[in-house]
Amino acid sequence: MNPKRVLIIDDEEAIQTVVKFGLKMAAGWDVLTANSGMEGIYQAQVEQPDIILLDVMMPEMDGLATFKKLSQAPETRAIPVILLTAKAQASEKRIFQKTGVNGVITKPFNSLNLAKEISRILNW
Amino acid sequence: MEELQRQYQRARLFAEVTLKIRQSLHLNEILQTTVVEVQRILNTDRVLIYQVFADKTGKTISEAVLPDYKTILDMEFPEEVFPKTYQDLYSKGRVQAIADVHAPAAGLTDCLVDFVDQFSVQAKLIVPIVLNLGLRSADTPAENGGNQLWGLLIAHHCQAPRQWTEFEVDLMQQLADQIGIAIAHGQLMENLETIVAQRTAELRQVNQNLQQEIADRVQAEDSLRQNEEQLRLITDTLPVLIAYVDHQERYRFNNAAFKIWLGKSPETMRGKRLRQIWGGATYNRIRPWVKKALAGETVHYENEICRFDQTICSVDVTYIPHQDEKTGKIKGFFALTSDISDRKAIERMKDEFISVVSHELRTPLTSIHSSLKLLSTGQLGTLSPDGQQILGIADDNTDRLVRLVNNVLDLQRIESGDVTMDRQACNASDLMVKATEAMQAMAQQYEVQLLTQPLSIPLWVDPDYIVQALTNLLSNAIKFSAPGTTVTLSVQEGSAMPPSPMALPPPATAQGRRSNARQRESGQSASDKSNSSTAKSQKCDPQKLELGDLKSRKTGSMVRFCVQDQGQGIPKNKLESIFERFHQVDSSDARKKGGTGLGLTICRKIIDQHDGEIWAESTEGEGSTFIFTLPLWSPE
Repeated sequence: MNPKRVLIIDDEEAIQTVVKFGLKMAAGWDVLTANSGMEGIYQAQVEQPDIILLDVMMPEMDGLATFKKLSQAPETRAIPVILLTAKAQASEKRIFQKTGVNGVITKPFNSLNLAKEISRILNW
Repeated sequence: MEELQRQYQRARLFAEVTLKIRQSLHLNEILQTTVVEVQRILNTDRVLIYQVFADKTGKTISEAVLPDYKTILDMEFPEEVFPKTYQDLYSKGRVQAIADVHAPAAGLTDCLVDFVDQFSVQAKLIVPIVLNLGLRSADTPAENGGNQLWGLLIAHHCQAPRQWTEFEVDLMQQLADQIGIAIAHGQLMENLETIVAQRTAELRQVNQNLQQEIADRVQAEDSLRQNEEQLRLITDTLPVLIAYVDHQERYRFNNAAFKIWLGKSPETMRGKRLRQIWGGATYNRIRPWVKKALAGETVHYENEICRFDQTICSVDVTYIPHQDEKTGKIKGFFALTSDISDRKAIERMKDEFISVVSHELRTPLTSIHSSLKLLSTGQLGTLSPDGQQILGIADDNTDRLVRLVNNVLDLQRIESGDVTMDRQACNASDLMVKATEAMQAMAQQYEVQLLTQPLSIPLWVDPDYIVQALTNLLSNAIKFSAPGTTVTLSVQEGSAMPPSPMALPPPATAQGRRSNARQRESGQSASDKSNSSTAKSQKCDPQKLELGDLKSRKTGSMVRFCVQDQGQGIPKNKLESIFERFHQVDSSDARKKGGTGLGLTICRKIIDQHDGEIWAESTEGEGSTFIFTLPLWSPE
């Protein structure tokens, strides 16, 4: 598994930190962080990460709105997106999957397993 | 000339007396008239009527006597002076005219002479009063060809002996006959009067009864009206809709609340059909329930109705069928509708609260969970053995908290109806494989053999939820199995029903076997380490399937899943209560197993939503089986 560059967009700093540590420790991946949807879109355009982890529940622009913008912009539309959500219901997962995201990971997760899960979803 | 004179006198006197006799219908009056008139006509001292009774005794019942002489009214003649032989003679019409009682020619016995002397009798004339009754009653025996001696008409002459003329004898005889006729008439009349009196009394009684009945009815109607008013007052005061609907779906009774809710008075609603009152859309919604009630089933459902002020309110509705006691036919149903908008609002608030709290808990939990996992790698610094142990406790309990939050949210979602089962055609085999794969790691961790026999059976279910139910049951079974034992997942086409509680053996008594009493619940997380486990086939107990076959005839085809372990088993009296939320068979054990107390409750909710049934069977010391049924997929 080649080292990857991951962008995490989440308004919770604690989540950013554990994801950063977990991916680094378990797989040696680099993690970029963004605190909001707007910042995330900007980072994605500039940094061109291999994968975007996107939190659904965020103030102002939520995860789904952010995903819509990412998938419409030519610079970012090719970057795979995985949603991070506290909504764990099967029916909710189905709704998210219908939006066109590459995958859904439900909270709470173990950040040490995250790399493996992402690789499974994206067939890396 | 003298003879003519006498005849004329006799005719006149006779006519007078008969007239007087006939003027009266009262016997006493007739008799009294007779004695007075005869005494006057004969110009004699005493005239009396002596009545002879059925027992042959007698009594003077009428008398006309001059003041100078003793009265013999009310006197009974002694038998020696008036023996029965005399009575027989008189009844045959004997007339005695004695001119001088003391003359030997008269032939009177001494005692009779002595007797008549007491009353100064010198001469006497006796004629019988004989009744010739065409109408005869049972107590008047027919003697002498229908002649009955009723009494004697007697004339006494006291001042001197007297020679009775033929005219006088004839007169007496004819009067006696007239009296006889009058008495016969009088008796007839009395008889009639008795009958009339009887009938009158009877009529009076009937009349009285009728009046009583009328009074009773009036009273009953009054109390009925009072009851009705009371009932009306009660039903009108209650803040719920109360109605009676007949078998043609017409309202027959509505309380006043209908006016407040729908703006329609009970009077205008009576006789109207449900569809007319509620409109097509609402009627179509309630129709299935109405049909069920009219088929004799008590139904209970929740609905939303639009009040006439256009507000929508949530209602709780109960229909109770009204069955004719004699014919058994359903005549209609009673409908009770209560406003549960407030309750619904509170429920929504509760659901929302639980949902928000659960979601909000997940994010910090992710941080804690991941932080602990990162710490436990040792890459961030080495902990002492005690520190490792404490970290382990934090880690385990975070896992448990995660499961608890997940379960609480699952349960709340299913209960609130926020999620509906997304049913689709799928295969039992796929679901079993998926669930088994998810639980292999946990089985390995507990050193438990997980056996499964997937069968290809078409189902009509929400696959995600059924897999969740299966993993919950498998996780429970594994958790409560000793190392080296086996947990089996099997499926069988057919159907099953839970054993009746009556058929269960009596609950096991507490014998200090606390270690056997365990809590059953779901554990959603399996170990991350994965290892292979053996797959073998094992079927459900055929005996249990027979039980189910009984029900399949009624409910149609079902599929039956069994999760069987070889653990310590569950006490009989806990087999049902383990499905209640946070139920604990043994709290210390539950903590040890890291359960949440909601797993089986969620399983039951999921199976309920699929119109299936779930239950547990167990033999203590041998193991437990959790069984649930699901509807078989059919193209219809």
